[in-house]
Amino acid sequence: MNPPVYRDTDLVLSAESVTKSFDGFKAINDLNFYLGEGELRTVIGPNGAGKSTFMDLITGRTRPDEGTIVMHQADGHDIDLTRLQEYQVNRLGISRKFQTPSVYGNHTVFDNLLLSLNRSRGVMKSLFYKMTAGDREEIEEVLETIRLADRKDDEAGFLSHGQKQWLEIGMLLAQKPRILLVDEPAAGMSDEETERTGELLLSLEGKQSIVVVEHDMEFIRQIARRVTVLHQGHVLKEGSFESVSKDPKVIEVYLGRQKHDDAA
Amino acid sequence: MGVLKPFEKRSELAVFLLLAAVVIVLPCLNGMTGEESGWHVSNFKLGVWGKYLCFAVVAMSLNMLWGYTGLLCLGQCLFFALGGYAFGMYLMLMIGDLGAYKSELPDFMVFLGYEQLPTHWKPFYSPWFAILMVMVVPGLVAFIFGFLAFRSRIKGVYFSILTQALTYAAALLFFRNDTTFGGNNGFTDFKFILGADIREPSTGRWLFVASGILLLTVYWFIAWLLTTKFGKVQEAIRDSENRVRFSGYSTTHFKLFIFVVSAIIAGLAGALYVPQAGIINPGEMWPTKGLDIVVWVAVGGRGTKAGPIIGAVLVNLLKSYTTREFPEYWLLILGCLFVLVVIFMPDGIVGLCKRTWVRFVRPKAGSGPAAEEKALATESS
Amino acid sequence: MSRFAALFWLFAVTILSVVGSTVVRADESEARRLLTEVILYDGERQDVAVEALGEEGAEIIKVVVEAWRVGEVSTTTRAEGEELALLKTPEGWFNILTGDEEVPSGEVTINRPSRKLRKTLKQLVDLLDLSSSDPAERIAAVEKLGLRQKAEYVELLRERVTKQTDPKVQRAFEEALSISLLVNGTVEERLQAVKDLGELKSFPARDFIDVLVAENEAVIADDAAAEEDKEAAKDLLAAAVSAKEKIDSRQKAVEVAGTIFRGLSLGSVLLLVSYGLAITFGLMGVINMAHGEFIAIGGYTVYLVQGYFAQTFGEGTAAYEWYFAVALPAAFLVAAFFGVVLERGVIQFLYRRPLESLLATWGVSMIIQQLIRMKFGAANVAVSSPQWLSGSVEMGGVTMTNNRLFVIGFALFVIVATWLLLTKTNWGLHVRATMQNRQMASSLGVRSTRVNMMTFAFGSGLAGLAGAFLSQIGNVGPSMGQTYIVDSFMVVVVGGVGSLLGAALSSLGIGMIDQTLQPILGPVMGKISVLLGIILFLQFKPGGLFPSKSRSLDD
Repeated sequence: MNPPVYRDTDLVLSAESVTKSFDGFKAINDLNFYLGEGELRTVIGPNGAGKSTFMDLITGRTRPDEGTIVMHQADGHDIDLTRLQEYQVNRLGISRKFQTPSVYGNHTVFDNLLLSLNRSRGVMKSLFYKMTAGDREEIEEVLETIRLADRKDDEAGFLSHGQKQWLEIGMLLAQKPRILLVDEPAAGMSDEETERTGELLLSLEGKQSIVVVEHDMEFIRQIARRVTVLHQGHVLKEGSFESVSKDPKVIEVYLGRQKHDDAA
Repeated sequence: MGVLKPFEKRSELAVFLLLAAVVIVLPCLNGMTGEESGWHVSNFKLGVWGKYLCFAVVAMSLNMLWGYTGLLCLGQCLFFALGGYAFGMYLMLMIGDLGAYKSELPDFMVFLGYEQLPTHWKPFYSPWFAILMVMVVPGLVAFIFGFLAFRSRIKGVYFSILTQALTYAAALLFFRNDTTFGGNNGFTDFKFILGADIREPSTGRWLFVASGILLLTVYWFIAWLLTTKFGKVQEAIRDSENRVRFSGYSTTHFKLFIFVVSAIIAGLAGALYVPQAGIINPGEMWPTKGLDIVVWVAVGGRGTKAGPIIGAVLVNLLKSYTTREFPEYWLLILGCLFVLVVIFMPDGIVGLCKRTWVRFVRPKAGSGPAAEEKALATESS
Repeated sequence: MSRFAALFWLFAVTILSVVGSTVVRADESEARRLLTEVILYDGERQDVAVEALGEEGAEIIKVVVEAWRVGEVSTTTRAEGEELALLKTPEGWFNILTGDEEVPSGEVTINRPSRKLRKTLKQLVDLLDLSSSDPAERIAAVEKLGLRQKAEYVELLRERVTKQTDPKVQRAFEEALSISLLVNGTVEERLQAVKDLGELKSFPARDFIDVLVAENEAVIADDAAAEEDKEAAKDLLAAAVSAKEKIDSRQKAVEVAGTIFRGLSLGSVLLLVSYGLAITFGLMGVINMAHGEFIAIGGYTVYLVQGYFAQTFGEGTAAYEWYFAVALPAAFLVAAFFGVVLERGVIQFLYRRPLESLLATWGVSMIIQQLIRMKFGAANVAVSSPQWLSGSVEMGGVTMTNNRLFVIGFALFVIVATWLLLTKTNWGLHVRATMQNRQMASSLGVRSTRVNMMTFAFGSGLAGLAGAFLSQIGNVGPSMGQTYIVDSFMVVVVGGVGSLLGAALSSLGIGMIDQTLQPILGPVMGKISVLLGIILFLQFKPGGLFPSKSRSLDD
């Protein structure tokens, strides 16, 4: 049992005693996780530690067998996320970026962002939606942030891998979420791109709560504030990057293995 | 010109105007020229082209699903046939006592020993009720099936297979005599439509024009839909459904909506097809018919506005030519054509033209509508 | 009728020619002599001969009596004055006395038995089978006799019951006797007969017991009936009702067993037709719409092999009987060969594009169908079953045809063989590796092109086997596979794509449900309910019985 860490400050998300198994295999095992308002959290763990499953559970893609996952609204209301579907979770302000970039390849960069704006998302509303000047401004702003302003009329399918990653991050930003769940944002990026991505995430700190799942140690070092280590569906260790990286248990299950992998 | 706004490219507008011209000119040639004139279009020919127009509409309805939303429905023929049956019920009742048995009941009912008209047939004396049902029945079937399928996240190939099973089950049902839809033989021997003799050339012209108007409306509707945010979401679902879902859209609702709309359009096409073909039977909803429609769309070019129309007309022209000249080889030709199209021309004829255009005619990509039209025309003639 | 006559003649001629060409068998010669006597003479001499004939049990009696009845026995006189009785067959005339062929020199007169004689002879023939050497024939004869409930047979049956050694035959005799006694016996005998029939759980007796119930109910309700009669009627009624219950419960059990058997065999057919699909669809992600045509290819291979055997060895020979044993592997190989052609020619361009593989193979399906039509014609071709597949076995009242039994065993064999191939062989390991992660496997040195080709060939081969089998229970025609294609897809989807165990279980389940629903709803509605049931089932288990765990299929 991990003690609640952010109990006294403003929490935005709490997951308590969450368990999820697939055919007897416990992907998530009695997991407790608390995310503070505006916090930047990094989640690491070896393959199969349950990182992706945890994200699936938060976003309503799968349902937990036991436990609660609650989002704390600004107005003081708590909302049980485990009963909602993905789109409902998203409308509450939780956005997710996937491991492999998923953008709309046949749409222009501009349209990709347009579709990500957090309005007119019902069937009828979308039929009669008209873009306002404000919408356009918002999109232009995001385009600047992700440095794709000059590519806005190109189809997203023609972007490079790194640009697609950024576009997807941009799509998350356009949603103006309270919580961003970011799965391996640096995968397939050049060093320079990686660094810029880190800067971008850091610049959001304080404004939005962010959970980053990563493998790239260099990148983690750059952005790490508080780090949660998952192992076999359970929180193994939580703390600063230094304290975590010195922890013998963590070294054994994760960093040790990482070294093995590197050697191989 | 606000109505024409949905056409983003001038080529699309050109296709629209071309189609409109065909819809106006063919019936005029039929009605105003004498049989000896070289310009004359015979009643038979006009009827055949009227049917092609209906095929084109049902192909467009499938394209909405498959081309733009990524849902390959193998049971589009079911909605077509349901629309046809609904309107066929009205046509059957309009025969009155002129049938072979001289009874107020449709012939097959007399033959099967019905004493009186089944209750659910009675409202079909009204053409308006029939037209309403032409839309409601396919729409409702699509709604129920789509609700179940999309809710449980059935997609891709599974969706295709289930739609095929659905139309198969429906065909088995309609083949039965006791479902009050004429069993094997279905409905035929129609006499009157809206008070007009169905065999009069003028009726044929009106049916042709009605089919043409339906075609133009659907063409315009799809073009309009694609300019809306809805249309963009539709294509986004095709490319990355998860992303759409995680962007706050209920993809289930979007897919359900498009599925129902597409079924209604297919139903309307079926309703106009039946008086022109003079018959509707359960063979129209046999799974192979559903695949036929897929072939039209694939050959013409899925995900393109004109593709389904070109595909439906060309494949059917080819069919009527080969079944006449080399009946043995028709299936062989169609099969080969299809395999080649799938492997080498994934975007069909229209896609091929576009690519040829971009690559050879105008290396600097851009839309030159007139030239593109020309490329299209040479390819399809 | 003409068909029956033809069969009859075939039968008669076989007997006569076998008998006629060689020495007349001893036991037949007496019968032949007596038959000739009966035909040629009348009066006392005829009566004596008829009576003597009753003691004989030869097959020839039946043939001649039947022929005599329909006017195909004639008499003629030889030049030297000898009178002959002749049997007319399409082959010519045969002397009944000797069994030799005879070319009549004089006038031939059709001879017909008198009405009285016909009746006597009919009876004689009926009883003839009672002493037949074949137990099955004896059973059939005695059942027929019992159902007639003729008083004159009661004694005869009673006398013979004890003589039967075969328990099955004895049971049939008892049954027949009891049924006869239901109307012919005394009150006590009737009561006993009803009880016996209940114990025997006799199905044929059920209708007669119904009659008995109605009769006795009428007696009880009849105010005019004597009190004594009413008492007896009550006893009888009670016994009859309880007997009926016993029979009904047995009948139900047999029906259930029959349904299970039919479900099992339909399930096995479904399994055979869908297992290949489960492999190509489930393991490779390729939707093969031409699967049905591979089934047809299997069916036509059997047809060709059969034709070859008929030509080489002649129909009906011992070697011909074994054509099917050769046809099975041939069907597998031929279909597998076409599978390789399809994989190399079309499918290999379409991996990871399941919708497109579906469309392209649909085109291929049209091509193959048309090619078959052009080569073999649009009509179905005839494939005959070898003897060892066409009989049937009865167990506890359930008739199981050999071919259905064979398909169940064969399905089991396919499951086991596939499982062994996939788990115990190198190829199986490669297949499973490739299916899990194509790139990983190929980078580890698995030659994925080869694996794909082999797997597709194997799946197609299984379809060919299914087709070979279908040729034994249905028609072989260009669209034979089409009938099964929708069902096989359903099997795979319900079972869970990628799971062969799932496919096996779902085909059995669907087969069972189908056969259970059919008697209640009729074949078409039964099928429709199954299809709708599947759609509803997928609501609760969208991934089928055994959903695929692979992440790559998720999106």
